[in-house]
Amino acid sequence: MLSMKNVSKVFKTDLVETHALRDFNLEVNEGEFVAVTGPSGSGKTTFLNIAGLLEGFTHGDYFLDGINVSNLSDNKSATIRNEKIGFIFQGFNLIPDLNLAENIEVPLRYRGFNAKERQRRVQEALEQVGLASRLKHLPTQLSGGQQQRVAIARALAGEPRFLLADEPTGNLDSLMARQVMELLENINQAGTTIIMVTHDPELARRAQRNIQIVDGQVCDFTMYHQGYRHVSDINAATDIDKLVANADR
Amino acid sequence: MLHIKPILSSLLRSKSGPILLLIQIILSVAIVANASFIIQERLALMQRDSGIKESEVLTFSLFNFDPLIDKTAQNKIDQQILRGLPNVIDATSTNMLPLSGGGWSSTLKLGPDPDSTKSTPQFAMYLGTDHTIETLGLKLIEGRNFYPHELKDSLDSPSRLAIISSVLAKAIWPDESALGKVLYEGKDAQITVIGVVEKLQGAWIDSSSLENSVIQNVDYGSSSYMVRAKSEFHAELKDAIKKALLAENPNRVLDGFKSIEALKDSSYRDHKLMITVLTMMVVLLLLITSLGLTGMVMFNIQRRTKQIGTRRALGAKKRNIISYFLVENYLICLAGGVLGGLLAIQLGQQLMKIYSLPMLELSYPLFTVAGLFIVTTLAVYLPARKAANISPATATRSV
Ligand SMILES: Nc1ncnc2c1ncn2[C@@H]1O[C@H](COP(=O)(O)OP(=O)(O)OP(=O)(O)O)[C@@H](O)[C@H]1O
Ligand SMILES: [Mg+2]
Repeated sequence: MLSMKNVSKVFKTDLVETHALRDFNLEVNEGEFVAVTGPSGSGKTTFLNIAGLLEGFTHGDYFLDGINVSNLSDNKSATIRNEKIGFIFQGFNLIPDLNLAENIEVPLRYRGFNAKERQRRVQEALEQVGLASRLKHLPTQLSGGQQQRVAIARALAGEPRFLLADEPTGNLDSLMARQVMELLENINQAGTTIIMVTHDPELARRAQRNIQIVDGQVCDFTMYHQGYRHVSDINAATDIDKLVANADR
Repeated sequence: MLHIKPILSSLLRSKSGPILLLIQIILSVAIVANASFIIQERLALMQRDSGIKESEVLTFSLFNFDPLIDKTAQNKIDQQILRGLPNVIDATSTNMLPLSGGGWSSTLKLGPDPDSTKSTPQFAMYLGTDHTIETLGLKLIEGRNFYPHELKDSLDSPSRLAIISSVLAKAIWPDESALGKVLYEGKDAQITVIGVVEKLQGAWIDSSSLENSVIQNVDYGSSSYMVRAKSEFHAELKDAIKKALLAENPNRVLDGFKSIEALKDSSYRDHKLMITVLTMMVVLLLLITSLGLTGMVMFNIQRRTKQIGTRRALGAKKRNIISYFLVENYLICLAGGVLGGLLAIQLGQQLMKIYSLPMLELSYPLFTVAGLFIVTTLAVYLPARKAANISPATATRSV
């Protein structure tokens, strides 16, 4: 489904080169729910952006759904983002001047769906997140949790193969965070592959699999068991040796 | 796939910014449409054909101070001298100078009874010679020129001849030839039309009867003369005229050497000034409007950086972003254009009433709006292309 081999990403500014990802290797299978954790600045967002074709990378190979996406044209990446990938952002990123229905329609319009198809999908997606009655509301008229559910509806309306979420609960209180997490779990159970960056160890633990990114590299613990105890330690850790030591214990 | 509906509803929800621009566009359209109409009107006035070879005709005044001379005889001698000068095509005396802003105007009666018969329209009354047509370069389209022996020395002569402009001929006798027709000056004098020239304008450019002219066969040797020669000879001709006429009689002053082109220029000076001012105003308004558009687009791009990144992340291609901004501003322009067009017509009607301008032609607001769309495209496209280059990663990177 998703396969990165030796992907690296260097940000160059006038003064410094930042190696945001270095020799990054990762395989994600169809239907997985992967939680990505790691210290601040370790490269989680960079990884997610590259995975979602929001930005390019410097070296390596990346196959998405069997397609080599290393050198796609801007238009082709836009099409793949539009058709195969759903994005959920920490700040929800709803368009403030558009009501909920219009917000959810945005990617559907770029896809060229006709009005009837758009309306059907908007309705369905809003029902899925439990906000079907709020069609005409503006984003500011909703709570943060509700806004994030709308954003999820927007991501779902395109029926993506893949859902990428960068700290989707980062701006929410724990109750709302749990609701959003439940929603994501339901979506995953329906077959959508999800990669979620989070700082919340409790939420990370609920995913099938946890990935640590530290200093631009993967520490893939591939934990399918629920009894893993060290996630919270890992989140606090910034030192790879300490992590490895924890894992060995 | 222009997605007008969400752009429109988004516009309607973010009121303040576009409202100001909208007002600016409405006013610009109203003013530009009327200004360009007035410019066009004035240009058309200036481009009217006078029927005269304006640049070739050199005019001057001659004042005799010699109490002993016979003015009538001297006038004839002077004209002979003028016609004999090198490069001179022809020369004549005249009572007035075309397009100069000063001259004689009159009306005549169509019958002998001054109380009961109709008058002609107002016309410019030229007194001239058998050389007037050739000197002014007029085109005789009917009838004939005066013969030398037909020239009178003064207006006292009770039976005179006239060559009239075709516009005047049509105005008096719409369905018949003017040739042989007689016009009456009170009970005493009769003026017979013997020729029609295609065009001859009078002296007053703003007069509605500018095209109505009559030349009578009166060699009116008062002070004005017209000499025709190619314009490149005018400078030396001026010297030659002075030299020759002063040699003939030194007790005289020669003055005011000007071509009819120069006379016309100064008559149209106010029109030219008006055209310049209005053109500057139009250019300035278009410039301000396009700056306003560019400014608003740049402001909106700044304000919507994250939104644009999000749209790109959700699958917008670069061209979708560009067309978003174009459509958004076309909508503002369309609203501004329609309202501005209506205001333009309203303004035109006020101007028509107050300054007795002709009615605003509808094509002017239409062309102005069309021009506005071109300006919009230019003003919006460049910043919009910059917006399209906002990275999709902005969606996750910015707060
Ligand atoms: N546009 C950029 N230019 C230069 N450096 C950048 C840019 N974007 C990210 N970086 C750097 O790349 C590294 C990885 O950043 P990234 O945003 O991926 O971290 P992160 O793990 O998502 O952090 P956080 O948990 O705080 O969101 C950081 O050192 C960051 O400063
Ligand atoms: Mg991040």
